[in-house]
Amino acid sequence: MPERLNLSKRSAVFMDLGLLEYGKALDIQIQTLHSKINKSVKEDWIFFVEHPPVFTLGKRGGEENLVVSRDFLTAKNVGIVQTDRGGNITYHGPGQAVMYPIVDLGKNKIGVKDFVHGLEEIMKLTAMDFNIDADRNQRNHGIWVRNSKIGSVGISIKKGISFHGLAMNINPDLEPFSWINPCGLTNVSMTSIEKEIKLSANNYDLSDYDLAMERIKNAFVKHFSSVFNYSIIRNNDYSKKTKKQQAVVA
Amino acid sequence: MKEINDLNLPDDVKYTKDHEWAKQDSDTVTVGINDYAQDQLGEIVFVELPEVGDAFSEGDEFGSVESVKAVSEMYIPISGEIVQINEALEDAPELVNESCYDNGWIIKVKPDDVSELDNLMDKAAYLDMLKG
Repeated sequence: MPERLNLSKRSAVFMDLGLLEYGKALDIQIQTLHSKINKSVKEDWIFFVEHPPVFTLGKRGGEENLVVSRDFLTAKNVGIVQTDRGGNITYHGPGQAVMYPIVDLGKNKIGVKDFVHGLEEIMKLTAMDFNIDADRNQRNHGIWVRNSKIGSVGISIKKGISFHGLAMNINPDLEPFSWINPCGLTNVSMTSIEKEIKLSANNYDLSDYDLAMERIKNAFVKHFSSVFNYSIIRNNDYSKKTKKQQAVVA
Repeated sequence: MKEINDLNLPDDVKYTKDHEWAKQDSDTVTVGINDYAQDQLGEIVFVELPEVGDAFSEGDEFGSVESVKAVSEMYIPISGEIVQINEALEDAPELVNESCYDNGWIIKVKPDDVSELDNLMDKAAYLDMLKG
Protein backbone atom coordinates (compact mmCIF):
# COMPACT_ATOMS: atom_id res chain seq x y z
CA MET A 1 0.00 0.00 0.00
CA PRO A 2 1.33 3.43 -0.85
CA GLU A 3 1.72 5.63 2.18
CA ARG A 4 -0.51 8.31 0.77
CA LEU A 5 -3.14 7.97 -1.91
CA ASN A 6 -3.02 10.52 -4.69
CA LEU A 7 -6.36 12.28 -4.46
CA SER A 8 -5.77 14.63 -7.36
CA LYS A 9 -8.70 14.52 -9.77
CA ARG A 10 -6.59 16.01 -12.53
CA SER A 11 -4.57 13.57 -14.55
CA ALA A 12 -2.74 13.55 -17.86
CA VAL A 13 -0.81 11.18 -20.07
CA PHE A 14 2.70 12.36 -20.89
CA MET A 15 4.28 11.27 -24.17
CA ASP A 16 7.68 12.00 -25.70
CA LEU A 17 7.35 12.39 -29.47
CA GLY A 18 11.11 12.55 -29.96
CA LEU A 19 12.43 14.73 -32.78
CA LEU A 20 9.42 15.38 -34.96
CA GLU A 21 8.61 17.89 -37.69
CA TYR A 22 6.48 20.80 -36.53
CA GLY A 23 3.60 19.98 -38.88
CA LYS A 24 3.42 16.33 -37.82
CA ALA A 25 3.43 17.28 -34.14
CA LEU A 26 0.69 19.82 -34.86
CA ASP A 27 -1.39 17.09 -36.54
CA ILE A 28 -1.07 14.98 -33.37
CA GLN A 29 -2.14 17.94 -31.25
CA ILE A 30 -5.15 18.70 -33.46
CA GLN A 31 -6.27 15.05 -33.53
CA THR A 32 -6.04 14.89 -29.74
CA LEU A 33 -7.86 18.22 -29.40
CA HIS A 34 -10.73 17.07 -31.62
CA SER A 35 -10.94 13.73 -29.79
CA LYS A 36 -11.29 15.65 -26.55
CA ILE A 37 -13.86 18.08 -27.99
CA ASN A 38 -16.02 15.19 -29.24
CA LYS A 39 -15.37 13.39 -25.94
CA SER A 40 -13.93 10.22 -27.46
CA VAL A 41 -10.79 10.92 -25.38
CA LYS A 42 -11.30 11.91 -21.77
CA GLU A 43 -7.81 12.27 -20.37
CA ASP A 44 -5.59 15.27 -20.87
CA TRP A 45 -2.38 14.75 -22.86
CA ILE A 46 1.01 16.39 -22.63
CA PHE A 47 3.34 16.01 -25.61
CA PHE A 48 7.08 16.56 -25.25
CA VAL A 49 8.96 17.11 -28.50
CA GLU A 50 11.93 18.64 -30.27
CA HIS A 51 11.48 20.03 -33.76
CA PRO A 52 13.90 20.17 -36.68
CA PRO A 53 14.70 23.84 -37.43
CA VAL A 54 11.56 25.87 -38.23
CA PHE A 55 10.14 29.35 -37.69
CA THR A 56 6.51 29.68 -36.66
CA LEU A 57 4.25 32.72 -36.81
CA GLY A 58 1.49 33.57 -34.34
CA LYS A 59 -2.15 33.92 -35.41
CA ARG A 60 -1.58 37.61 -35.95
CA GLY A 61 1.58 36.95 -37.90
CA GLY A 62 5.06 38.18 -37.22
CA GLU A 63 6.77 37.76 -40.59
CA GLU A 64 7.60 41.48 -40.41
CA ASN A 65 9.93 40.44 -37.58
CA LEU A 66 11.94 38.19 -39.86
CA VAL A 67 15.16 40.15 -40.39
CA VAL A 68 16.58 37.94 -43.15
CA SER A 69 15.07 37.18 -46.56
CA ARG A 70 12.93 34.19 -47.40
CA ASP A 71 15.65 33.20 -49.88
CA PHE A 72 18.18 33.12 -47.06
CA LEU A 73 15.94 30.73 -45.11
CA THR A 74 15.39 28.59 -48.20
CA ALA A 75 19.17 28.34 -48.61
CA LYS A 76 19.43 27.31 -44.97
CA ASN A 77 16.58 24.82 -45.49
CA VAL A 78 14.48 26.31 -42.70
CA GLY A 79 10.74 26.74 -43.30
CA ILE A 80 8.17 29.17 -41.91
CA VAL A 81 4.80 27.90 -40.68
CA GLN A 82 1.71 30.03 -40.00
CA THR A 83 -0.03 28.90 -36.78
CA ASP A 84 -3.09 29.94 -34.80
CA ARG A 85 -1.38 30.30 -31.42
CA GLY A 86 -0.96 33.51 -29.47
CA GLY A 87 2.26 35.49 -29.67
CA ASN A 88 4.57 36.43 -32.54
CA ILE A 89 7.37 34.80 -34.55
CA THR A 90 9.62 32.25 -32.88
CA TYR A 91 12.21 29.62 -33.72
CA HIS A 92 12.23 25.91 -32.88
CA GLY A 93 15.16 23.58 -33.35
CA PRO A 94 16.94 20.56 -31.89
CA GLY A 95 18.11 21.19 -28.33
CA GLN A 96 14.95 23.13 -27.49
CA ALA A 97 12.45 21.33 -25.25
CA VAL A 98 8.88 21.89 -26.41
CA MET A 99 5.81 20.88 -24.44
CA TYR A 100 2.26 20.87 -25.78
CA PRO A 101 -0.39 20.31 -23.07
CA ILE A 102 -3.80 19.39 -24.50
CA VAL A 103 -5.66 20.20 -21.32
CA ASP A 104 -9.36 20.75 -20.60
CA LEU A 105 -9.03 24.09 -18.83
CA GLY A 106 -12.80 24.47 -18.54
CA LYS A 107 -13.41 21.15 -16.84
CA ASN A 108 -10.40 21.58 -14.57
CA LYS A 109 -11.35 25.18 -13.78
CA ILE A 110 -7.97 26.57 -14.75
CA GLY A 111 -8.17 30.14 -16.06
CA VAL A 112 -6.23 31.01 -19.22
CA LYS A 113 -4.20 33.67 -17.41
CA ASP A 114 -3.32 31.21 -14.62
CA PHE A 115 -2.46 28.49 -17.14
CA VAL A 116 0.02 30.71 -19.00
CA HIS A 117 1.48 31.82 -15.66
CA GLY A 118 1.83 28.16 -14.66
CA LEU A 119 3.60 27.24 -17.91
CA GLU A 120 6.06 30.04 -17.21
CA GLU A 121 6.47 28.74 -13.67
CA ILE A 122 7.40 25.27 -15.00
CA MET A 123 10.25 26.81 -17.02
CA LYS A 124 11.35 28.98 -14.12
CA LEU A 125 11.52 25.97 -11.78
CA THR A 126 13.32 23.91 -14.43
CA ALA A 127 15.99 26.63 -14.77
CA MET A 128 16.29 26.76 -10.99
CA ASP A 129 16.98 23.00 -10.99
CA PHE A 130 20.24 23.97 -12.77
CA ASN A 131 20.94 26.85 -10.33
CA ILE A 132 19.93 29.38 -12.99
CA ASP A 133 18.13 32.41 -11.66
CA ALA A 134 15.29 32.83 -14.17
CA ASP A 135 12.13 34.87 -13.84
CA ARG A 136 9.38 36.80 -15.59
CA ASN A 137 10.24 40.16 -17.15
CA GLN A 138 8.06 43.21 -17.75
CA ARG A 139 9.17 43.30 -21.38
CA ASN A 140 7.18 40.27 -22.35
CA HIS A 141 5.71 36.97 -21.28
CA GLY A 142 7.95 33.94 -21.09
CA ILE A 143 10.93 33.35 -18.83
CA TRP A 144 14.09 35.39 -18.78
CA VAL A 145 17.60 35.27 -17.35
CA ARG A 146 18.57 38.90 -16.79
CA ASN A 147 17.67 40.50 -20.14
CA SER A 148 17.88 37.33 -22.21
CA LYS A 149 14.93 35.11 -22.96
CA ILE A 150 15.25 31.41 -22.20
CA GLY A 151 11.65 30.20 -22.63
CA SER A 152 8.51 31.25 -24.49
CA VAL A 153 4.78 30.55 -24.27
CA GLY A 154 2.10 30.63 -26.95
CA ILE A 155 -1.21 28.79 -26.75
CA SER A 156 -4.64 28.48 -28.34
CA ILE A 157 -7.93 27.49 -26.77
CA LYS A 158 -10.87 25.83 -28.50
CA LYS A 159 -13.97 24.85 -26.51
CA GLY A 160 -12.01 25.39 -23.31
CA ILE A 161 -9.21 22.99 -24.35
CA SER A 162 -5.62 24.21 -24.73
CA PHE A 163 -3.14 23.37 -27.45
CA HIS A 164 0.30 24.67 -28.47
CA GLY A 165 2.39 25.40 -25.36
CA LEU A 166 5.91 26.29 -24.28
CA ALA A 167 9.44 26.11 -25.67
CA MET A 168 12.59 26.26 -23.55
CA ASN A 169 16.14 26.51 -24.84
CA ILE A 170 18.29 23.76 -23.39
CA ASN A 171 21.30 23.47 -25.72
CA PRO A 172 20.14 24.56 -29.19
CA ASP A 173 22.09 26.51 -31.79
CA LEU A 174 20.96 30.04 -30.86
CA GLU A 175 22.07 31.64 -34.14
CA PRO A 176 18.68 31.31 -35.93
CA PHE A 177 17.13 33.53 -33.24
CA SER A 178 19.33 36.33 -34.61
CA TRP A 179 17.45 36.05 -37.92
CA ILE A 180 14.24 37.29 -36.22
CA ASN A 181 13.06 39.76 -33.62
CA PRO A 182 11.90 37.00 -31.25
CA CYS A 183 8.29 37.45 -30.14
CA GLY A 184 8.28 40.73 -32.08
CA LEU A 185 10.76 42.36 -29.69
CA THR A 186 13.83 44.20 -30.95
CA ASN A 187 17.19 44.02 -29.17
CA VAL A 188 16.38 40.81 -27.39
CA SER A 189 19.05 38.20 -26.98
CA MET A 190 18.19 34.59 -26.39
CA THR A 191 19.92 32.30 -23.99
CA SER A 192 19.84 28.63 -23.08
CA ILE A 193 20.43 26.41 -20.07
CA GLU A 194 23.76 25.40 -21.63
CA LYS A 195 24.88 28.99 -22.18
CA GLU A 196 23.96 30.02 -18.63
CA ILE A 197 25.78 27.03 -17.18
CA LYS A 198 28.92 28.04 -19.08
CA LEU A 199 28.57 31.66 -17.96
CA SER A 200 28.18 30.70 -14.33
CA ALA A 201 30.82 27.97 -14.50
CA ASN A 202 28.70 25.66 -12.40
CA ASN A 203 29.19 21.95 -12.43
CA TYR A 204 26.35 20.67 -14.60
CA ASP A 205 27.39 18.77 -17.65
CA LEU A 206 25.08 18.97 -20.66
CA SER A 207 27.54 17.39 -23.07
CA ASP A 208 25.54 14.18 -23.22
CA TYR A 209 22.71 15.34 -25.46
CA ASP A 210 20.22 12.58 -24.66
CA LEU A 211 20.87 12.72 -20.93
CA ALA A 212 20.39 16.50 -20.85
CA MET A 213 17.03 16.29 -22.61
CA GLU A 214 15.97 13.38 -20.39
CA ARG A 215 16.64 15.49 -17.30
CA ILE A 216 14.61 18.36 -18.73
CA LYS A 217 11.76 15.98 -19.54
CA ASN A 218 11.74 14.69 -15.98
CA ALA A 219 11.82 18.25 -14.67
CA PHE A 220 8.85 19.24 -16.86
CA VAL A 221 6.82 16.26 -15.61
CA LYS A 222 7.64 16.99 -11.97
CA HIS A 223 6.92 20.71 -12.20
CA PHE A 224 3.77 20.35 -14.33
CA SER A 225 2.47 17.96 -11.72
CA SER A 226 3.18 20.30 -8.80
CA VAL A 227 2.22 23.60 -10.48
CA PHE A 228 -1.15 22.37 -11.78
CA ASN A 229 -1.81 19.61 -9.23
CA TYR A 230 -1.85 16.80 -11.80
CA SER A 231 -1.04 13.14 -11.52
CA ILE A 232 0.89 12.28 -14.66
CA ILE A 233 1.11 8.91 -16.34
CA ARG A 234 4.20 8.38 -18.48
CA ASN A 235 3.39 6.78 -21.81
CA ASN A 236 5.94 4.75 -23.74
CA ASP A 237 8.12 6.99 -25.82
CA TYR A 238 6.91 7.44 -29.36
CA SER A 239 10.24 6.53 -30.81
CA LYS A 240 12.90 4.27 -29.40
CA LYS A 241 15.58 5.91 -31.51
CA THR A 242 17.82 8.24 -29.63
CA LYS A 243 17.47 11.88 -30.47
CA LYS A 244 21.05 11.91 -31.71
CA GLN A 245 20.26 9.24 -34.29
CA GLN A 246 17.13 11.06 -35.35
CA ALA A 247 18.99 14.36 -35.62
CA VAL A 248 21.47 12.72 -37.97
CA VAL A 249 18.62 11.32 -40.09
CA ALA A 250 16.93 14.72 -40.16
CA MET B 1 -9.33 34.92 -10.64
CA LYS B 2 -12.48 36.42 -9.16
CA GLU B 3 -14.52 34.38 -6.72
CA ILE B 4 -17.83 33.24 -8.22
CA ASN B 5 -19.73 35.53 -5.85
CA ASP B 6 -17.74 38.54 -7.06
CA LEU B 7 -18.64 38.04 -10.73
CA ASN B 8 -20.75 40.68 -12.45
CA LEU B 9 -23.55 38.61 -14.05
CA PRO B 10 -26.50 40.80 -15.09
CA ASP B 11 -30.01 39.36 -14.92
CA ASP B 12 -31.08 40.76 -18.29
CA VAL B 13 -28.74 38.72 -20.51
CA LYS B 14 -28.54 35.01 -21.38
CA TYR B 15 -25.37 32.93 -20.98
CA THR B 16 -23.67 30.14 -22.95
CA LYS B 17 -21.59 27.29 -21.57
CA ASP B 18 -18.60 28.84 -23.34
CA HIS B 19 -19.06 32.06 -21.32
CA GLU B 20 -20.55 34.34 -23.96
CA TRP B 21 -23.61 36.48 -23.23
CA ALA B 22 -26.49 37.40 -25.53
CA LYS B 23 -29.15 40.07 -25.19
CA GLN B 24 -32.10 40.79 -27.43
CA ASP B 25 -32.68 44.42 -28.38
CA SER B 26 -35.68 44.82 -30.70
CA ASP B 27 -34.74 42.92 -33.90
CA THR B 28 -31.07 42.20 -33.16
CA VAL B 29 -29.17 40.20 -30.56
CA THR B 30 -26.01 41.70 -29.03
CA VAL B 31 -23.24 39.25 -28.10
CA GLY B 32 -20.12 39.54 -25.99
CA ILE B 33 -18.03 37.56 -23.52
CA ASN B 34 -19.01 37.65 -19.87
CA ASP B 35 -17.22 38.78 -16.73
CA TYR B 36 -15.99 35.26 -15.91
CA ALA B 37 -14.45 34.95 -19.38
CA GLN B 38 -12.74 38.35 -19.43
CA ASP B 39 -11.39 37.83 -15.90
CA GLN B 40 -9.86 34.42 -16.50
CA LEU B 41 -8.45 35.46 -19.90
CA GLY B 42 -6.44 38.33 -18.46
CA GLU B 43 -5.52 41.48 -20.36
CA ILE B 44 -7.02 41.27 -23.84
CA VAL B 45 -4.67 42.64 -26.51
CA PHE B 46 -6.56 41.81 -29.70
CA VAL B 47 -10.09 40.94 -30.78
CA GLU B 48 -10.54 39.17 -34.10
CA LEU B 49 -13.96 40.18 -35.43
CA PRO B 50 -16.08 38.69 -38.22
CA GLU B 51 -17.29 40.87 -41.09
CA VAL B 52 -20.71 42.44 -41.37
CA GLY B 53 -22.79 40.18 -43.61
CA ASP B 54 -21.13 36.96 -42.44
CA ALA B 55 -23.67 34.25 -41.55
CA PHE B 56 -23.19 31.70 -38.79
CA SER B 57 -25.03 28.78 -37.25
CA GLU B 58 -25.44 28.55 -33.50
CA GLY B 59 -22.23 27.25 -31.92
CA ASP B 60 -19.92 28.27 -34.80
CA GLU B 61 -16.64 30.03 -34.11
CA PHE B 62 -17.18 33.68 -35.03
CA GLY B 63 -13.95 35.27 -33.85
CA SER B 64 -11.26 35.11 -31.20
CA VAL B 65 -9.67 37.10 -28.43
CA GLU B 66 -5.94 37.16 -27.71
CA SER B 67 -4.72 37.68 -24.17
CA VAL B 68 -1.45 36.88 -22.39
CA LYS B 69 -0.07 34.90 -25.40
CA ALA B 70 -3.28 32.87 -25.70
CA VAL B 71 -5.77 32.89 -28.56
CA SER B 72 -9.26 31.83 -27.42
CA GLU B 73 -12.09 31.14 -29.85
CA MET B 74 -15.55 32.64 -29.37
CA TYR B 75 -18.75 30.77 -30.27
CA ILE B 76 -21.93 32.39 -31.51
CA PRO B 77 -24.97 31.77 -29.29
CA ILE B 78 -27.57 32.14 -32.03
CA SER B 79 -27.81 31.48 -35.78
CA GLY B 80 -27.99 34.51 -38.00
CA GLU B 81 -26.22 37.27 -39.88
CA ILE B 82 -23.71 39.76 -38.46
CA VAL B 83 -25.25 43.22 -38.83
CA GLN B 84 -22.74 45.19 -36.78
CA ILE B 85 -19.33 44.68 -35.19
CA ASN B 86 -17.80 46.73 -32.40
CA GLU B 87 -15.13 48.54 -34.40
CA ALA B 88 -13.91 50.36 -31.29
CA LEU B 89 -12.29 47.08 -30.22
CA GLU B 90 -9.80 47.27 -33.08
CA ASP B 91 -7.99 50.12 -31.33
CA ALA B 92 -9.17 49.46 -27.79
CA PRO B 93 -9.47 45.71 -27.12
CA GLU B 94 -9.18 46.46 -23.41
CA LEU B 95 -12.82 47.61 -23.51
CA VAL B 96 -13.73 43.91 -23.25
CA ASN B 97 -11.96 43.75 -19.88
CA GLU B 98 -13.23 47.10 -18.68
CA SER B 99 -16.86 46.93 -19.78
CA CYS B 100 -17.75 43.51 -21.13
CA TYR B 101 -21.55 44.08 -21.21
CA ASP B 102 -21.55 47.68 -22.47
CA ASN B 103 -18.70 49.32 -24.42
CA GLY B 104 -16.99 45.93 -24.79
CA TRP B 105 -19.83 44.24 -26.70
CA ILE B 106 -18.53 42.32 -29.71
CA ILE B 107 -21.18 41.67 -32.41
CA LYS B 108 -24.82 42.32 -33.22
CA VAL B 109 -26.67 39.51 -34.97
CA LYS B 110 -29.91 39.48 -36.95
CA PRO B 111 -31.20 36.11 -35.74
CA ASP B 112 -32.70 33.49 -38.02
CA ASP B 113 -34.91 32.31 -35.15
CA VAL B 114 -34.88 34.35 -31.99
CA SER B 115 -36.42 31.49 -30.03
CA GLU B 116 -32.94 29.88 -30.05
CA LEU B 117 -32.22 32.24 -27.17
CA ASP B 118 -34.49 30.06 -25.04
CA ASN B 119 -31.80 27.36 -25.19
CA LEU B 120 -29.34 29.59 -23.32
CA MET B 121 -28.94 29.80 -19.55
CA ASP B 122 -30.25 32.47 -17.24
CA LYS B 123 -28.01 33.78 -14.48
CA ALA B 124 -29.06 31.12 -11.96
CA ALA B 125 -28.45 28.23 -14.36
CA TYR B 126 -25.12 29.69 -15.46
CA LEU B 127 -24.01 30.07 -11.83
CA ASP B 128 -24.98 26.44 -11.20
CA MET B 129 -22.79 25.40 -14.14
CA LEU B 130 -19.83 27.40 -12.84
CA LYS B 131 -20.18 25.88 -9.39
CA GLY B 132 -20.77 22.36 -10.74
